[in-house]
Amino acid sequence: MNNAFFITASELAQAGFENIPDELQSAKHLIYSSPATLAFNSPGAQGFGVKRAGLAIPGSVMLLVSPGCCGRNTTLQSRLCGYQDRFFYLLLDDTDIVTGRHLTKIPEAVREVYEFCDKKPSAVMICITCVDALLGTDMERVSRKCEELAGVPVVPCYMYALTREKKLPPMAAVRKAVYSLLKPRKRASADMNILGFFSPLNDDSEIYELLKGAGIKNIREISRCETFEEYEKMSQANFNLVLNSEARYAAQQMEETLGIPYIEMMRMYHIDKIHNQYMSLANAIGAKFDDTVYYNGTKKEIEKFKKKYGGINFAIGEFLNADSLELAWALLSYGFGVSEIYATVGERNFVFVKAIAKLSPQTKIFSNLSPTMLDYEPSGKKIDICIGNDAGYYHADVPAVDWNEERQPFGYSGVRLLFKKLDEALKGAGK
Amino acid sequence: MKKLLKLLSPFAPDQSGAVGVLYELGGLVVICDAGGCAGNICGFDEPRWFFKKSAVFSAGLRDMDAILGRDDMLIAKTAKAVGQTDVKFTAVVGTPVPAVIATDYRALKRMAENKTHLPSVCIDCTGTRLYDDGEERAYLELFKTFASEKYETVKGKTGIIGCTPLATGYMTPGIFEKSFGENAVCFAMGSGLDEIQKASRCDKNIVISTGGIKAGEYLKQQFGIEYTTDFPVTPAMEKVLENDLSDKKILVVHQQFAANKMRELIKNKYECSVDVGTFFKLFGEFAGKGDFFIPDEQQLLEKVSAGGYDVVIIDNICHRALKDCECRLIDFPHFAVSGRLDENGGQVCLA
Repeated sequence: MNNAFFITASELAQAGFENIPDELQSAKHLIYSSPATLAFNSPGAQGFGVKRAGLAIPGSVMLLVSPGCCGRNTTLQSRLCGYQDRFFYLLLDDTDIVTGRHLTKIPEAVREVYEFCDKKPSAVMICITCVDALLGTDMERVSRKCEELAGVPVVPCYMYALTREKKLPPMAAVRKAVYSLLKPRKRASADMNILGFFSPLNDDSEIYELLKGAGIKNIREISRCETFEEYEKMSQANFNLVLNSEARYAAQQMEETLGIPYIEMMRMYHIDKIHNQYMSLANAIGAKFDDTVYYNGTKKEIEKFKKKYGGINFAIGEFLNADSLELAWALLSYGFGVSEIYATVGERNFVFVKAIAKLSPQTKIFSNLSPTMLDYEPSGKKIDICIGNDAGYYHADVPAVDWNEERQPFGYSGVRLLFKKLDEALKGAGK
Repeated sequence: MKKLLKLLSPFAPDQSGAVGVLYELGGLVVICDAGGCAGNICGFDEPRWFFKKSAVFSAGLRDMDAILGRDDMLIAKTAKAVGQTDVKFTAVVGTPVPAVIATDYRALKRMAENKTHLPSVCIDCTGTRLYDDGEERAYLELFKTFASEKYETVKGKTGIIGCTPLATGYMTPGIFEKSFGENAVCFAMGSGLDEIQKASRCDKNIVISTGGIKAGEYLKQQFGIEYTTDFPVTPAMEKVLENDLSDKKILVVHQQFAANKMRELIKNKYECSVDVGTFFKLFGEFAGKGDFFIPDEQQLLEKVSAGGYDVVIIDNICHRALKDCECRLIDFPHFAVSGRLDENGGQVCLA
């Protein structure tokens, strides 16, 4: 039996981004979709995959045009997430794929779906998959035909798993798709949008207070728009704030078509970096933010937790509302231990590998997707707590915080909530 | 419109059926996809994924792999994984991507065998067919590849073909012993590749789902082993029997052999008439006079309305499609339909 592959932070930092080992690069090995990875390693697996994300437009429905296999997991999603009345399927057979004849059926299918719905949809999202990626289907053209026949806006969504490492991967493409129905409007100086997530930020995030203090009156997020009319008002924003890099392409599109500029921030757990980002944001919008209360309050919470539990040792997974490496670096800099990280290392987060290597050179970095993870067995330094349900899968007998709730943590309030959850998990484990 | 689903969602596809057959046999299974199919199979169609480890991997294909037909890369990745895991054979399971680019599975098989020095099987799935088609191909390929030798027949040894989570629910050996005796061996569930290799020791086979018929035929032709069809009595069936079904006209919808058994049990207990309908394979020789194939949800509605049924026994995920029919609906879970094994929606063992 072989052991799961890992590399220490120090070895990886020394090797450099250009020499990341093959086992950490998903394109260079078969992919192990272990229970630890299912939630994020499939375009349609759990949470907000392309299908669910495509329904972010209020009142929309989705027609999935694909072989039956692509819609299979939607059965569960429909049942658990209340999407039963919003998903429809046009199944392709072998002849459709060979001849492309399904393309001529789609407009009629859209019309039939529209007529079937008691409450008429605001838009029909047409989701296509790898088959049409390979056939080179022009779904924009088909969508226009659908609009003519059914009299409803029709938007293509591309669930092209084949293009996951391309410039516009499926989750970035769907973010573009969901904002594509916005039409130019007169911009309102006190309006702005937050882009990046398909569910709202936690209500207590200080970002709302800080922005309101700077004179912003209307902060819109697509997930908080209850009607199509509210969604349409997103086009009057003075600027977009991008909190997830996968929404960058959508923001660029909105800048191009609606003239809305954008500012990008990253979700971080290092409070000094959070402070720096807020100051940069204030500068960019010509305002002043005073985040002292939030900064000090959060620092106090971290110290209180540390006093209670000491420098406990973490394992950090990948399916969580954080960048695993940034979170690990933040925890290390607060004086905790992180002995294992399960992560995808890329150009964007390699800087955190270097930072981790300085604080904890022996931290082991694993790839969730490596076939060697089939043989993963906990070893080495005892883990006190896990963050991420993938880490929790590997250390089933250790307290764990999933940290992948739909409501999105952000800023200082996100850090405080994380430590609150960690405290609950450790208390629950009788520590 | 045909093949437009407005009330139901898609049933388990052939690739899930194939993986379900291969799952417990100790092979390295490569789902020839970009990642989404493997996610669906492992996360949804394979309940064992969460408690029984198996070397099932995604090929992780990218657009240029498909466009350029980089089979050599796939084989290189497979060989590397073979070196990292303890496996007895390799298997490649098709999906829509290789179907579109017309992958040559025979070539893949040869390449894999040359590179890994292990036997290899390739299951030609397309994602457009249903799970029992994939099961049928996987069983047949397995027996053809591994059960080539004739062993001495063991008197009373019964081979069970067709037990997979999708077709029958997850079953423990106990349920077979109860229904088919202590000498029953369930191929590919609860037994390994060794039993497949020694399949010729059985003195009879029982096929319990439609995906196993071709394999049953093959073993009959190859080794003269006769087969019959049957299905073990499950708690779900016993629950159906708690309903008073006297004098009713009943339709049972499931895979053909589970539905046939349900019919037998109902008719043993009540005076009534029972037809069988199925979304999956329907073999004429095992069908009753009024039995029928249901190609899509529209046909389900039409057949139920036209048939004048008082009771329809069907997975409750389909109840939504039949809500306007004036008949009583009774739940009969079928994992391949709903991804649900028990009446509470949990993925639990039927046995």
